[in-house]
Amino acid sequence: MGLPKDPFKYRSKHVCRTDPVLDGSNCSGPDVECTAGENGRAVNWYRSLKALDAYSFFAGPTCIYDEKPVDVLEQIAADIQRQFESLPVNAGSVVAQPSPHTLRGAETNFYADAAEQQFDVTMFGQKVHVVATPAQYTWTYGDGTVLGPQPSMGGPLPQERWGEKTRTSHAYATTGDFQIVLTTSFQGTYSVNSGPPLPIPGQGQFSAPPQTISVWRSITRNYADDCNQNPQGQGCPGVPSVP
Amino acid sequence: MTSHNLFASRPLRVTALGVVVAAALTLTGCNSGGDPNGGGTTSPTSTSTESATPSATATPTPTAVYKQADATGRAQNVPVPVLPEVAKTETKEGLEAFARYWYSTLSYAYETGDTKPMEAVSGPACTSCAKVKTEVTEWHAEGRWLAGGKLHVEGVHSDFVASGPAEYQVVVQVYQETIDYYLADSTLKGTLPRKPAVGDLVVAVFDSAGWKASTVEHLVK
Repeated sequence: MGLPKDPFKYRSKHVCRTDPVLDGSNCSGPDVECTAGENGRAVNWYRSLKALDAYSFFAGPTCIYDEKPVDVLEQIAADIQRQFESLPVNAGSVVAQPSPHTLRGAETNFYADAAEQQFDVTMFGQKVHVVATPAQYTWTYGDGTVLGPQPSMGGPLPQERWGEKTRTSHAYATTGDFQIVLTTSFQGTYSVNSGPPLPIPGQGQFSAPPQTISVWRSITRNYADDCNQNPQGQGCPGVPSVP
Repeated sequence: MTSHNLFASRPLRVTALGVVVAAALTLTGCNSGGDPNGGGTTSPTSTSTESATPSATATPTPTAVYKQADATGRAQNVPVPVLPEVAKTETKEGLEAFARYWYSTLSYAYETGDTKPMEAVSGPACTSCAKVKTEVTEWHAEGRWLAGGKLHVEGVHSDFVASGPAEYQVVVQVYQETIDYYLADSTLKGTLPRKPAVGDLVVAVFDSAGWKASTVEHLVK
């Protein structure tokens, strides 16, 4: 979709490291090099293309602080999607050009300002670092029109080009106040105790606070005189406007 | 405005084949050109000296023992990859066998500097193949050689769904051994350590002459 999908699947394995001082396997107890917490165990990471079953070493060792490190990693993997969706990910801000007022029938340019975000959480006693990257954008323009999900966040137009049609612009058919909502889908990776970044399987959807835009109509009237010749003419200073 | 959506419609983004990172090691500092004294140490093609025995043949020794490249010199008597019979068929098994064969020709190129077997099964549009040719040829020229760098295929898979006329995709999980770069005077110029296996996408086309790789690229990650 928006970003390339990870072609690999991953797996971890509890590995025994030789104690360099005591000379022997220490796999029955905590790993001598995993001392940042209780019950440190080391795991290595293996990966295989999803279409294959050919796991080979990819990263490690990583310290996991539990007697059953692989079980803990499986629990984290099973819960990471829920955790991801509950993070306070900022969907980004909505910018409209022009704003806060625009004209009926005119192309109003909208773009999102969303960025990669990082979070640190604790899951099952392990430090989990999450990176959320914006991938797709859905625009709800408030008049019943929805654009997306699509991969373009849009972008700013210089003022002299306001009114041009863009990939994310919208023309309102009627006047009034409309609430624009941006929903950004994020892709994520997570790494446990500074291990390798692993893909979070599904995207997380996050919405920005609604933003109001007022759509007006414009009326063109033509006059033969200028305001010097006819100071009471429509649009001249001090003359009340006609509804 | 945004560049990241260029690949939006593609299921997997690919990058240029990484095995050509050999390019990172430049050839500066080596004596190129016709130095009359240089390169006299281990060149297997050097002309016979005055002590040559009259009965000796100029071609490799009768006992053609394979010896892999090391710090003392280039590989010798590297067996030329053989295309298996099944790899001559327009089938899923044929394509997967062909993909393995293609990597054996790439491995052969790294070991010997001879890219002809690879070129014979690579299409003209395969830019990464052309890059490999340049790099490998350069690094095997003028007495230089590579040690290691052999490719090991851990798995191949094709859904065997045509992506064009007689064109199919196959994914390959492959890693390359550590490469040591030696100059003609036997100094170790640099080392490219082995990395975890990567995923490659090979696009291959079948015609009357058999399979040809038209694209070989890394899958991202």
